[in-house]
Amino acid sequence: MLPNKVTIWKLRNNNPLRKSYVNNNIKLDEFEALIKITSEMSRYLYPYIRELLKSREDIENNSVIWNDFNNRLIELIKERFNVDSMRVKKLLSQTENDEIILKSLLTLSLCISNLGYIKLKNLLLKF
Amino acid sequence: MQNKLSFNQSSVSLEITGLPDYSNNENKDQISIISQWKLTIIDKPLIEGKFEHLGPIMDAFYIYSNILIKNEIPIYESKLIDIKADDLHIHNIVLKSSKPNVKPLILNIGNSLLSDIINCFDQLNESSKVRIKIDNLSTNIPKKERYGFSNKFNFFNFIMPSFISICSLILCSSAFIYFYDHSEYKEKNELLNSK
Repeated sequence: MLPNKVTIWKLRNNNPLRKSYVNNNIKLDEFEALIKITSEMSRYLYPYIRELLKSREDIENNSVIWNDFNNRLIELIKERFNVDSMRVKKLLSQTENDEIILKSLLTLSLCISNLGYIKLKNLLLKF
Repeated sequence: MQNKLSFNQSSVSLEITGLPDYSNNENKDQISIISQWKLTIIDKPLIEGKFEHLGPIMDAFYIYSNILIKNEIPIYESKLIDIKADDLHIHNIVLKSSKPNVKPLILNIGNSLLSDIINCFDQLNESSKVRIKIDNLSTNIPKKERYGFSNKFNFFNFIMPSFISICSLILCSSAFIYFYDHSEYKEKNELLNSK
């Protein structure tokens, strides 16, 4: 379905938050392929995602990992997303983005099983 | 001799003890009749119970995690287990014993342990070595949405609009019977012909 990285890069442009947004009408097969990649990546990165979630439980003593992740994420958003959009501004706001990031990480951490991609797809469809 | 299977995820381990269903010619290492289960969480008291408790507890965790993700008020209450969020990061679990005069077990877990527990339950659900009747255990995926888009097609939804349109056409056309008098039309025609 996704023969090479270029195809994935092109599909990323379907994201309306990106600077390079192009509405190509993503196909169902492509949507499912992206979901599977996301689920596989979550499984691979689970130890890191778990550490991030754990760091928020005791932020006073364990803030380094969360701050590093948050700073890098904000850097990437500023670099690649349309910062004039209200939704992107919300993602950049330190006070508002905490809950969004936390729930995104929690969603990914719950979809790491062999059939995790089905769970992720259903969660996205209900969103 | 009972079989034991363990499902591990980081700080959590779920152990299932049971027997194969020999009447179905199952393998020796299969578990179809669960006699006991144990959920071990590092630095927390052991949680254990019989098969009939496993389903409701798994349901509770799945439903609670879904509520948590969907931005609703995260609270789940049942006869056996209550789960509510202290804040975004800590969840308060109250396990009520089915035996009389036994105090409920109270646990506080974070998001990391919550995801470990749910991943252990996922491993159990997906294991080919443990067979649990689907009626007894509901997954966090509603049946309607289990197969995603492919299940979106509903025959009832497909046939109903055309059925309603046909009915409304019949209803409208039948109203013309009251306005149309065949004998009057015949007389008019005869008059025109005679002229």
